[in-house]
Amino acid sequence: MSDSVDTVLSPSRSARWMKPDRIKELTLVGIITASVLVFSLLIDNYLSGRFFNRITTSVVIVAILAAAQTLVLITRNIDLSVGSIVGVAAYLTGDFLGANNWAGPLIAVLVAMLIGAVLGSFNGVLVAYGRVPAIIVTLGTLALFRTMLSLYAGGQNITADSLPDWVLDLNRVTVVSIGGLDLRLVFLIAILVFVVLQWALARLRSGRRLYAIGSNPEAAKQAGLPEQRLVFWAFVGSGALAGLAGFMFLARIGTISATAGAGLELESVAAAVVGGVSIFGGSGTMVGALLGATLIETLELSLVRVPQVSEFWRDALLGILILAGVLLDFTLHKRLGRRLTAAARTDAGGSPPTTIGARRRAGKGSSDA
Amino acid sequence: MRDWAARHRWETVLGGILLATIVVNATLSPFFLGFGNFINLFWLSIEKIIVVVAMTFVIINGEIDLSVASVMGFSAAVMASAFAGGDIPFAVAIVLGLLAGAAAGLAQGFLIARVGLPSLVVTLAGLIGFRGAARVLLEDRSVGDFPEWFDRLGQQPLIGSIPLALIIFFSLLAVAWIILERGTFGRKVYVIGNSADVARYSGVGVSSVKLRIFVASGLAAGLAGVLFAARLGSVRGSLGEFFELDIITMVLLGGVSIFGGSGSMLGVALAMFTVLSIRNGLGLANVDGIIQTGVVGLLLIGSVLVPNLLEGIQSRRPAPEP
Amino acid sequence: MSRWLKVMAALFAFALLSAACSSSDDTTTTTAAQTTTSSGTAVVSIEGAGSITATFLPKCTNIAVFPQANSGAEEAAAELGSETAAFVGPADCGDATGQIEFMTNAVTQGVGAIMVSNNAGDELAPSAQAAADAGIPVVSWDSPIPSAEGESVFIAQVDFDETGLVMAEMALDILGAGGGQFAILSATPEAANQNAWIAAMEEALTADDKFASLELVDTVYGNDVAEDSVTQALALVDQYPDLGLIMAPTTVGIVAAAQAMTQEGLCDQIKVSGLGLPDEMREYTESGCAPQFALWSFVDLGYLAYYVAYGIATGQIEAADGVTFEAGRMGQYTITADPTRDAGLRVLMGPFTVYNADNVG
Repeated sequence: MSDSVDTVLSPSRSARWMKPDRIKELTLVGIITASVLVFSLLIDNYLSGRFFNRITTSVVIVAILAAAQTLVLITRNIDLSVGSIVGVAAYLTGDFLGANNWAGPLIAVLVAMLIGAVLGSFNGVLVAYGRVPAIIVTLGTLALFRTMLSLYAGGQNITADSLPDWVLDLNRVTVVSIGGLDLRLVFLIAILVFVVLQWALARLRSGRRLYAIGSNPEAAKQAGLPEQRLVFWAFVGSGALAGLAGFMFLARIGTISATAGAGLELESVAAAVVGGVSIFGGSGTMVGALLGATLIETLELSLVRVPQVSEFWRDALLGILILAGVLLDFTLHKRLGRRLTAAARTDAGGSPPTTIGARRRAGKGSSDA
Repeated sequence: MRDWAARHRWETVLGGILLATIVVNATLSPFFLGFGNFINLFWLSIEKIIVVVAMTFVIINGEIDLSVASVMGFSAAVMASAFAGGDIPFAVAIVLGLLAGAAAGLAQGFLIARVGLPSLVVTLAGLIGFRGAARVLLEDRSVGDFPEWFDRLGQQPLIGSIPLALIIFFSLLAVAWIILERGTFGRKVYVIGNSADVARYSGVGVSSVKLRIFVASGLAAGLAGVLFAARLGSVRGSLGEFFELDIITMVLLGGVSIFGGSGSMLGVALAMFTVLSIRNGLGLANVDGIIQTGVVGLLLIGSVLVPNLLEGIQSRRPAPEP
Repeated sequence: MSRWLKVMAALFAFALLSAACSSSDDTTTTTAAQTTTSSGTAVVSIEGAGSITATFLPKCTNIAVFPQANSGAEEAAAELGSETAAFVGPADCGDATGQIEFMTNAVTQGVGAIMVSNNAGDELAPSAQAAADAGIPVVSWDSPIPSAEGESVFIAQVDFDETGLVMAEMALDILGAGGGQFAILSATPEAANQNAWIAAMEEALTADDKFASLELVDTVYGNDVAEDSVTQALALVDQYPDLGLIMAPTTVGIVAAAQAMTQEGLCDQIKVSGLGLPDEMREYTESGCAPQFALWSFVDLGYLAYYVAYGIATGQIEAADGVTFEAGRMGQYTITADPTRDAGLRVLMGPFTVYNADNVG
C-alpha cells in the first residue's frame, strides 16, 4: 500500500536521462572545472598538490554543514541554528577531550554528534510537534544555544594546550597519497558522509518521503505519511551532522571560545543553494550540496591568489556567484521541469513550484504525471 | 474592547509581555524608568528599527529581505566614499547614499518580482554581495571627518532631548501604519502575501507591488545607514554587520506570519519596544549581551509555541503546515 | 478598538510621565571631598575613600586576557574597599561598535568611573565625551581612544612605539640576518592599539638599517575571531609563497596562525610571533612553531587601571600632566602627555616579557 502511495506521491518525473538533478550536478562540475582552468591561467603554480590539499581540508566543515542544511531544506524547512550547534559541539567536545585525554577520535566524534543530535532534536520537537515555523525556531535556538554555551563557558576558552595531540594534527593525517595529491582523512570522512546520505536519500523509503513532504506537505499528510516524525528526524540528522562539523572545527581551530561557529549558518545555506537545493523544498541532492560547497570554497581560496583582484572583492563576487547559481537553477527548472499548479503553495512571486527530486526505482515505468 | 482584543489577540498578548518587561526592568534597575534612558533605548538601535518598519511590508507580502544590514553598510560606504573622494557637497553625498540603497533594492526587487527568483536566495546573495561592495569601496579604512552639522544631527538631540533620528523613526512608523492598514496599497500587500496567484487573477499588479516594496526596503536601509554614519561619526565597511537577525526577529515577534498575509504594524511596534526594552533593561542591570540575545530568542519561540500549545490543548486542530 | 487602545495609551503615557518626573541625572558617585593634588613633586598615595560603582568595559568578554585584566581590577577594588566594577562588554570580538551601547548605559547608570579597552576607534569618542560631560571619568587601558576625546587618561601597558620596536626585533631574530618576507595578522581594522603598534613597527623598520632585510608584504585582519584569523593566516600562505613569518599582535591571531601553520605542516617554513598568552602558546613554542613572542601582565594592567580610575573618581588625583601617584602594590607612576598620540595623557605601566622555550612553561 505504502509503496503505491509513495508512487503516487512522488512528484512528476522527467525524462529518464535528462533528470534535472543530474544536469544541475554536471553543470556544477563544469563550472568548477572551468574556474580551475581559468585560475590556472591567472595564477602561477595554481595546479599544485598543495593547493588541492588546501581546498580539500578547507571545504570539509562547510560541506558537512551544507549536507545538514540540505537534509532540512528538502523538507521545506530551514536550520539557522547550525552555526551555534557547531560552537556548542566544538566547545563541549574540546572540554570532554581535555578532561579525558585517553579518548580517541571515534569517541570524540560520537560525543560531538550526540551533542549535535540532542540540540537538533530540540529544534525537531518544536518544528514538527510544536508547529512553530522552522525559521522562527532556529532563529530562536541560534540565540538560545549560543547563550547556553556562553553561560557554560563562563569566559574561558578551550586551549590547544589541553587537547590531546592527535586532535590538532588531525587535519594532516593522510590516508593515501597520489603524486602530490593527499587524500586527507578529514576529506575522506566528508566524502563518506555524503555518499551515505546520498544513498539514503535516494534509496531508502524514508529518504524519498522527505522529498515528498517538502514538495507537497498536504498531499503527503493526506496520504498518511508520518510527516511529523520525518521532519523531527531530519532536524536530528541536521544537528548530528552539525555536531560532526563541530568536531572538525575543533580539530582545525584548536582554541575554541563561546562565539565559535557564528555565521556558519548562512554559509551552509549559500552552499546548499548554489548546489541546487531548492529553498522551497522537495528537490536537491547531497552531491549537489557538496559541489556547491566546493565551488564556493574553490572560488574563495583562488580569488585570494589573483593579484588583480583585491581581497575586498571576494565577498562581492561570491554574492554574484550565488545569484548566478540560482538563475541557472531557475532556468533549468523552467525549461525542463514540469509545473505543478499547487494552489496550496504560498509562493513568492508565483514562480512555478517544481517538484523534481525523488527518484524512481528502476523499472517502474516512466509515464509523466 | 473585548471584541478588539479577541480579534487582535497577538497584539494584546504582546502588550501584556511589554508591560511585564517594563515592570521587570524597572525592578532590576532604578535607572530604567528615566526619560533620558527612554530616548537611549530607541536611539541606540534606531537604525535597526527603521529597517524593521520596511521589513514588515516585505514579510507581510510573503517575501524576505536578508540583505538589509548589508545595504545599510553599502549606502553608508557610498556616501562616505563620495564625500571623501572629491569636491562633492556633503548633502549630495547623502543623496547618493540614499540612492544607492534604493538602487540595491531595485536590483533585488527586479530579480524577485520580474524574473521570479526566490527572495530568500536573492537577498542572501545581496547580503553577501553588498557587504562585499561596501568593502570594495572602503577597504579597511575608516572614513570620517564629516561636516560638523552632520555629526551634530546624529549625536545631539534636536528638539528638546529628542534626536532627529527618533523623530524620523516615529514619523516613518506613523506613515507606514497608515499606508499598510488604511490604504489600498496596504490591502494589496496583504492579498499578495496570502496568495500571489489569487491576487494576480484578481487583477492586482503583483510584480509592481513587490518591486516597490523592495525599493522601499532598500531606501529604508539606506536611510538607516546614513543615520548610523551620523551617530558614529565615521563609516567602515563593516557598518551594521549582523543586524538582520535582530530585525527579522522583531518583525516575527510582532505577529507577522513568515508565510505572509497577516500581521499588523501595531504588533511590530510593540515587538520592537519589547525587544529594545529587554536589551536596554538587562543591559542596565549589567546582564551579559549574550544572555540578552538568549532571552529574545526564547521570547521569539515562546510567542509562537505557547499559542500553538494552547490551541492544541483546546483540542482544536493545529493549523496545517502550508 | 478605540477604548482598549485608549487605556493602553493612558497607561503608556503614565509610565512616561512618571519616568520623566523621576530625575534621570542623578550621579551615584560617592565623591569624597575634592582634594586637589599639588602639582609638582608631591606623590599622592591612592587610598580607600569609600565605594564607587564602576564599569569595566573590555573589547569583548571572550578573549582570555580580558577576564585576566578584570581580576586585576577586582583585586584593586578589594584593596580600596570599593565594590567590584561591573565586567560587561560585547560578546563578539568582531563587533566593533558594540561598546557604544555599554558606554551609554554606564552613563545612564551614573557610575563613578568607566574603564574601557577601546575596540571602536574614534567611533567611541561621542559616547565617551557624553560620559565626560556627565562628570564620569573615562580611563582607557590597553587600547586608547585615538583622538583622546572624552578620555581622562590612558593606561598604556607598554610604550606603543616600543611595541613596534620589540616586534621588529623579534622578527629579525626569527628570520635571521638574511631577513625575509613577513606579514602582519591583526585584530579588527578599528582597534586603536593594534593600529598604533603596527604603525610603530612600520616606522621602526624604516628607521634602522639593521631591519633592511625584512620585508613586510601585507597586513590582514582576523577580527580577533579564531576562525577568521585561521582563514587569513592560510590565505597569507597561499598568496605569498616566500613568507617566512607571521607576526600577530593579538592573542587570538597568534594562536590561530600557530594552529594553522601546525595543521598545514608549515612550521619549518613559516614561523609565528607577536603578542600571545603563555598558557595558550605553550604548545606551539615548545614545538618550535612560535619560538618567540611577547606580552605583559594583563592582571597588572587591570589593577593599575582601577587604581587610577578610582583615584580620579574620588578626587584624590587629577588627570593632568605631571601628576605622580602611588597605586597599591604596583608602585609609583606619573601621568604624562602621551608621546605616541597627538593628544591625550598616559600612564606607562610596565615592561614587556619576551617568552621563548625557556620561560614559557
